[in-house]
Amino acid sequence: MRVFGRRPAFSGGIRLPAHQRREAEATIRQLPFAPRLLLPLRQHAGAASTAVVRAGDEVFRGQLLARADNDSAVPLHAPATGHVLRITEQPDALAGTVQVIELAALAGDTQEYTGGESHDPDRCSADELLAAIHEAGIVGLGGEAGSTHRRLVHARERAVRVLVINGIEGEPGFSRVPAMLARHGADVLAGLRCLRKVLGVERAVLAVETPDGAAARNLLEAAPGGTLPALRVLPPRYPQGAAGLLVRTLAGGAVDGHPAFAADEAVVFSLATVAEVGRMLSGGLAMTDQVITLAGEGLREPGNYRVPLGTPVGFALEQAGMRPEPDRVLAGGPMRGQALAALDRPIVKGATGFVAVAAGETADVPASMPCIRCGECVAACPLELHPAELGFLARRDEWQAMVEDFHLDRCFECGCCAYVCPSHIPLVQMFRTAKAQWRRAQARPAVEAAT
Amino acid sequence: MMPASRRLRLVAAPHLHGGRAVPRLMLHSVIALLPVTVFAVVVFGLAALATIVVAILACLLAERAFAPPSALGDGSAMLTGLLLGLSLPPALPLWMVALGGFLAIGVGKHLFGGLGAPVFHPVLVGRVFLQAAFPAAMAQAWVAPLTGARATELPATSLALPFMSPAAPYDGLSGATPLTAVKAGDTGAPLADLWLGTVAGSVGETSALLLLLGGIYLVAMRVIDWRIPVALLATVAVLGAALHGLDAERHPAMLTTLGSGGLMLGAWFLASDPSVSPMTRRGAWIYGLAIGALVVVIRQYSGQAEGVMYALLLGSALTPHIDRWTRPQPLPEGAER
Repeated sequence: MRVFGRRPAFSGGIRLPAHQRREAEATIRQLPFAPRLLLPLRQHAGAASTAVVRAGDEVFRGQLLARADNDSAVPLHAPATGHVLRITEQPDALAGTVQVIELAALAGDTQEYTGGESHDPDRCSADELLAAIHEAGIVGLGGEAGSTHRRLVHARERAVRVLVINGIEGEPGFSRVPAMLARHGADVLAGLRCLRKVLGVERAVLAVETPDGAAARNLLEAAPGGTLPALRVLPPRYPQGAAGLLVRTLAGGAVDGHPAFAADEAVVFSLATVAEVGRMLSGGLAMTDQVITLAGEGLREPGNYRVPLGTPVGFALEQAGMRPEPDRVLAGGPMRGQALAALDRPIVKGATGFVAVAAGETADVPASMPCIRCGECVAACPLELHPAELGFLARRDEWQAMVEDFHLDRCFECGCCAYVCPSHIPLVQMFRTAKAQWRRAQARPAVEAAT
Repeated sequence: MMPASRRLRLVAAPHLHGGRAVPRLMLHSVIALLPVTVFAVVVFGLAALATIVVAILACLLAERAFAPPSALGDGSAMLTGLLLGLSLPPALPLWMVALGGFLAIGVGKHLFGGLGAPVFHPVLVGRVFLQAAFPAAMAQAWVAPLTGARATELPATSLALPFMSPAAPYDGLSGATPLTAVKAGDTGAPLADLWLGTVAGSVGETSALLLLLGGIYLVAMRVIDWRIPVALLATVAVLGAALHGLDAERHPAMLTTLGSGGLMLGAWFLASDPSVSPMTRRGAWIYGLAIGALVVVIRQYSGQAEGVMYALLLGSALTPHIDRWTRPQPLPEGAER
């Protein structure tokens, strides 16, 4: 409810406590190669790719390890020069099992990566650029980790008119946005030119939150010329970086004389994705590493690191000075990150960061109390669902009503409801359970019909 | 590679919490009531102190009886007791106060399912029971403010034995409250006394000013939804001013209406209780408006001098319906991710 001004695009969300920015956050450090890299053939949301190497093969950095046989798959390249130790079947949360290439990286300074042919967006055709993006094996780096090639193809099919660059930090304490703006400004501009050409889109909008506003403005002002994106600096609010919410926010208002646009006329790419597209295409590189944030009080040197794909999480955290006995380690940030049971799993394409939470860093969550019906969760839900009612239904195992009457399937588990709940009710956890139960209930009749 | 001893905790996201907690909300409410509590003891003396202490003890006893011991720590029974004590006439026999407190928690809270579940505010359940069971006492147990003996003597009626006629008649103590005076056709108390609270009335309802300050504290601390008291008081102000404008003889001025009776305590501390008020922001407006209108209607057109209690009960009865009418509509598909 706003008394003055335009109704906001979405009324929920939360103001997270202001995050203290440090100088180091605009830097990116290079992580050394782990002696062994683990490369699952399904790294992202999509189909698995097919191995083209065998155990014992010598490979060089950037060499193709697995090809994409499917629209949603992406090629996988060797993140380091070395040899293939073995290829094993490992359990996988989504597909049952997945093949994993185990690579022994060559020790020493022989990890040179010269790259291949450069793709200049001004000289290559849109289709050549699109093919190059596919061959580089790029996936979205904003957290969703789908094939960037596929996303571009779909965007071309629905004739989008506006390219949105999502420069909104997805998680508190993460700092990839300032790092990308400060260290990869030229790559961002190159990536932007490239995506524009592929999509045949004139209009672009770069959206950042207030703390990154100055850096974004500097980048655009220092740009050598050409059509620059309109800049939108938004007051911080979580989770406005969720692509759908961001488009809603941007679509409504005219920016710098640019007219408003409809939400379905826009396509969103994260700032990190745009930067990597620019970097890889101009260097002729494949996606063999990526920038992630390593955060938390459990690290002596938190910050942004460029990590080779396949690096075990534990190795990366040790390199960032992990203190002994962390309380928990999160894959992702503090709002949506999943606590890891073990640190031997590899960092895969599209990972955004990890948090090592030190013992005592966060207060222990008190036991949950009954709902007092305060409605804070209802006000906080960015999708305007009804978390309180969903909570009551979850207590009674009414999965069907949760999905069909209260749209549980729309929930993307941003965590706002649990964050504001004064009774410390684990709403997100309850919703995850409910979704799993609902899926199981949906699958059962199909199984019964088949047998 | 990792030492085997390392044990990582598996905790569900989110790993941050905003810091709101039920015991803290209760504590803030008690803090917001402290000024008016101290003021009540100063103005009405031992009678007020005894009423408040007995109400709190009765509520804690009932909480102990009907809930696991850990529930005492959330502070909600303590707050219920304090609110009940503040809402009762100061010279009410203490056994009635105790009975009201015990029923407030036992019936009003736990019969409905405990914390968060009550349909009606437990304080009002206790108070409406006393009103129904002991109408004479509830209508007459007033004390004149700032009497000389207030610090040393309890009114004789306070110590009346259960179910016996009080040793002294109620009307021997003091005259009418401002609202009963208005009802009888008088002009009521001077405005300054009314807002300051140096008039006869329930223990903690007389000082509209201190209650307003407490309410503002609750809003500043984000304990309550400001929309409810604002909608409620604005409705009372507008309707009160309109009635006064139509017939200044029969209807008190707007500031008199706002400053008298249980309105301030009800608007800031009872209507805003999350369990009995709607969950949506839009619902809060409707709810506050409905209670405000009911207050004016009951005060002006019923045989009762005060209408806040019944207006609050009726408003709470509307809450489930308001929640249904104002159910949030999800954003269109594709708004996520």
